[in-house]
Order: sequence, then structure tokens, then C-alpha cells
Amino acid sequence: MSHPSRQLADVITLPARSLGGHAAGVAGSAADQVRVWTANDVDDWGRDNGFVDRVWAASRLRWNVSVGGAQHVPKRKGALIVVNARRFALAPVFAALAIGGATGRPVRFVGRPDVAPVGPMMQRLGGLLPIPREVERALAADQLVVLGAAPHITNRTSGIVDHRIVGAATITKVPAIPAATVSVPLRRSARVEIGAPIRLARKRRGPLDELETADALQHHLDALLDELGGALTGTPLDWLPFNGIGGV
Amino acid sequence: MAGVRVLVSGMGGELGSRVASLLEDEPWVGSLEGIDVDPPRRRLRRAVFHRIVAGQHDRTVETVTAFNPHIVVHIAVWEPNARANTRVARGLTDDAATSILGAAAECRALESIVVRSGLEIYGRARNSLTRPTEREPRDPTSVYGHMVDDIERTARAIGRRIGVSVGTLRLATVLGPHVPSALGRVLRMPAVPFSALADPPFAVIHQHDAAAAFVLAAEARLDEPLNIVAPGAITTFQAIRRGGRIPVPLIGPEWRVARALNYLAGAPIPDHVQEMFHRGRLADGQRAREVLGFAPTTTTSDVIDQLYGWPSVVHTPSDVAWETAS
Repeated sequence: MSHPSRQLADVITLPARSLGGHAAGVAGSAADQVRVWTANDVDDWGRDNGFVDRVWAASRLRWNVSVGGAQHVPKRKGALIVVNARRFALAPVFAALAIGGATGRPVRFVGRPDVAPVGPMMQRLGGLLPIPREVERALAADQLVVLGAAPHITNRTSGIVDHRIVGAATITKVPAIPAATVSVPLRRSARVEIGAPIRLARKRRGPLDELETADALQHHLDALLDELGGALTGTPLDWLPFNGIGGV
Repeated sequence: MAGVRVLVSGMGGELGSRVASLLEDEPWVGSLEGIDVDPPRRRLRRAVFHRIVAGQHDRTVETVTAFNPHIVVHIAVWEPNARANTRVARGLTDDAATSILGAAAECRALESIVVRSGLEIYGRARNSLTRPTEREPRDPTSVYGHMVDDIERTARAIGRRIGVSVGTLRLATVLGPHVPSALGRVLRMPAVPFSALADPPFAVIHQHDAAAAFVLAAEARLDEPLNIVAPGAITTFQAIRRGGRIPVPLIGPEWRVARALNYLAGAPIPDHVQEMFHRGRLADGQRAREVLGFAPTTTTSDVIDQLYGWPSVVHTPSDVAWETAS
């Protein structure tokens, strides 16, 4: 039997021991979490699937994105998906994440800068440099690539589509697909509507092909945006006929 | 195609020895000879080895012309800080390329030259492609990049002049058991610096896969540049984590201090490795699959795992070793 003074000491130090043990447990599990979070692999293009999954999960706290028309995206082959973009909305990034979530394929987006720390972070998300050769190589490797049109203030219409990047799809003979993105700043809901691949009525042999494909993509994007109801703010401002009486 | 005479320069190194070993097993290889400063690292049954110091021009020419090879596989390239410091490595590489490729040009039977190059030849300037193909222009931004660029230019000029095919294998950083590599040495340090702001991905190639690519290129009489790179990629931080090393995040100016400390610790960081830590180094290896049917067996992550799996050198006092042996 132990000495009474030792028993008393055990009673007195018990909370400290318990607290120490608990703290060690928390620190250990935190270290395990850090290990798990940092043990990801990157693919051939530097995309980190684990990082993408976490960003996608975090973004769903803010946005509830629904994707329509995913059947237009090839199952295994590459494709260039062109989306409209609102200024500062990072539409290509979120469209890539949403389409990736809907199709189960890694989706890359065009437009990462080549400057640290933003560039490498976007590379982890699947970002490609806005260089036609870079996009061409990705498409040739059967990757899905999202390209943003020139950004506009609203989602009413689409901006100009960069025909040089579209040329990468023409060279690699992969489909160019329009996809309209609509989000409401004051609401959680957002929508990505993927259209059918562009087929030009007339085949061109030269660079007119990419120019006409870029124009067709822009027109199809505008049509898809019209179908989705154009720009919305989620406020009574949406009721006002900014485009004239009856929206004409 | 049988009875082909093959000359391997750099046969003493790990990669050269492995290439020679694989070539010995090829039915189309008639006779095999090699040149290097050091003797081969493995037992070779058929190969004849000539120990010639790089720069002994007359002896090199005499040996090569006497053999009169059909194919020259030029592997004698010294990566900076792998076996020699940057200045010495550059001198040895230049001497070897001049002597061996120059001597090969004098051989009447010569049909093909295969030279070792590196992905460093593409450089990592701003807005350079993430995964360059062989079609991208060469734009080296490191000393090693310029070294391999010089070799490629020399080989191509000789090939054009005497009308033989010249194939260049642009290897990712070669890692493998006992391969002297600046990157491998840095990654195996107890504490490893990495770029906290960038930490970009890079790819490597296992020495056995690299050696297999040389054999395939020699057999196919390759006449173009090819990227030889393992599938997959890894970042420095991920490599450090896999190896259980202590990551030392660096932002910018302190890299100078880190390089000095690594130099003192015996694992100097040459500029091409530092560039890789800051800007990454990937490449598209699809063309090698199409042209040579080359399929690497080890992924980049597996190569890094093997790097950390290799046992460290254990220093045993001589008297203890003697007791154990006797």
C-alpha cells in the first residue's frame, strides 16, 4: 500500500495529468491531420487532387452549384469548355471545380499567372498558363480544360472568346463546348449549364476555323445565358427593365 | 541487324555501367567497348573498358577509331555538384564531348550517335511551358542547361556534317541506388529547404528506366530529341514529407544562407536544383512512348520513396570490421 502523502499527491496532480494527456492527444491528432493534408500527390500537370477536393468542399459552404448538361462532356477524350466570366468572380476556377465534381474527371482551367505564390497555388487547383501551346498540350493529353471568356460586369452577355486558345482545340481536334455560368451575389445558388459541342456549318482549312469557332462559342454562350434568365442580383433590382420595356 | 559495334562513353558511372550491362544482353550488339575516367561499377562480361581521362584527346581518338563503332552512346556528362563542382564538371563534360564525338566523326562505320541531355535545356524562364515537349525551343537558364545545350549542338553539328543520325535523350534528374546526384543528396539531408511560396512540382527518372531508354534509342537509331521522364510529379515539400525529413520553409533571401550551409554539410545546391525548387521541372514524355515504345517502370513518387529507402552509409571502425570479418 502506498504512502498516504503519495496518494494525496496523485489526487492533486490528477487534473494536470488529465489535461496533459488530453493536450498530447489533441496535438497528436492535429499532427496526424497535418500529415494527411500534406501527403497528397500531384499529377503530371501539378494538380493536387486532395487540395482540389478540400477547396471544392470549402467553396460549397458559400455556393451551392448545380451542373446541367454534363452528358455533353466527353467521358475520356479531351475538350475545351468555354465559360462566360463575371469580373472578380473566378468563374473559370469554380466552373472547373463544379464540372470536375459532376463528371468525376480532373478539369483544368486556363489563366494562372506565372508568379508565386498565386501561380503555384492555382497550379495545384489545375491552372494552366494562358499560352496556346500549353493548352494544346493539355488537350492533346485528353484533358478537360475550362477557358473563361473576357470578363463582364454582369452575366447578361458573354465577353470575347480568345481565338488563339480556341485554336489549340482546333489543332488537336477536340470539341469546343460552351458552358454558361450564373451566380447570384446575395444567394448561395449557382448554375453551370453545359451546352452541346460547337459544330460549324462550314469547315475551314485555315485560321478562319478558330475565329469562327470562337464567335460561335460566344453566340452559344449568349443563347445559354438568355435561357438561364440573364443577370440576377437576388434583389428587387432584378424586376427593373434595364434593357427597356419588356426587356427589348 | 547483328554484330553491331557499340561504344559507350561514361561507362564507369552508374548509368553508363547499367547501359553497358543491358547492351551486353542485346542480341544485335556484336561488340561493346567503353571509355571513362573510372572503371565500371558492375561486372561486365563482354564489354571492353578503356580507362581514359577526359581531355586525353589523342588516346581517345586512337581508341575510338581503332574500334570503329557503328553506334556511339555518349553518356559522359558530369552534372554539377554530383561528382565534381560546377567548374570542374563543365570542363570535364566539354572535354569528353569534344574528344569522343570528334573521334566518332572520324569513324567510317559510324551510323548513329545517341547523346545524354537534360530537361534543364528548356530552362524555366517566366511563362515557359509547364510541360514542354521536344518541339519547344531550347532556352537554358542554368549552368547545367547550357552544358547539355552545348553537347546537343556539338552532336547535331557533327551529325549534319558526316550524315549520321543524332538522337538526344533529355533526361529528368536521374535518381537511383548509388547514383551521385545533387538533388538526391539534398533531399536525404536531415533538414531540407523548400520554397514556401512556390513549392512547384518536378519529375525525375529512375536510373534503370534511363538506361533502358538509351538501349532503345541505340537500337532504333534515334534521330530526334526525346524527353525521358517518369510518370507523375512531386513537390519538394511532398518529397520531404515522404522521407520524414524536417522541412525548412524559405521565402527568398535566406536561400543564400541555406545554400552555404548545405555546401558545408556536403550537399551543395547547384543552380539547376535551386531553379527546380523554385520553378519546378516537368516535361511531356509522350513522344518517347510513341517513337521508342519506352514505358518507365517507376513513377516519380516511387523513385523518391526508393531514394529514402536506400540505406545510409554506416561508418564502422576498422578494428570492429576486422573482428566481424574474421
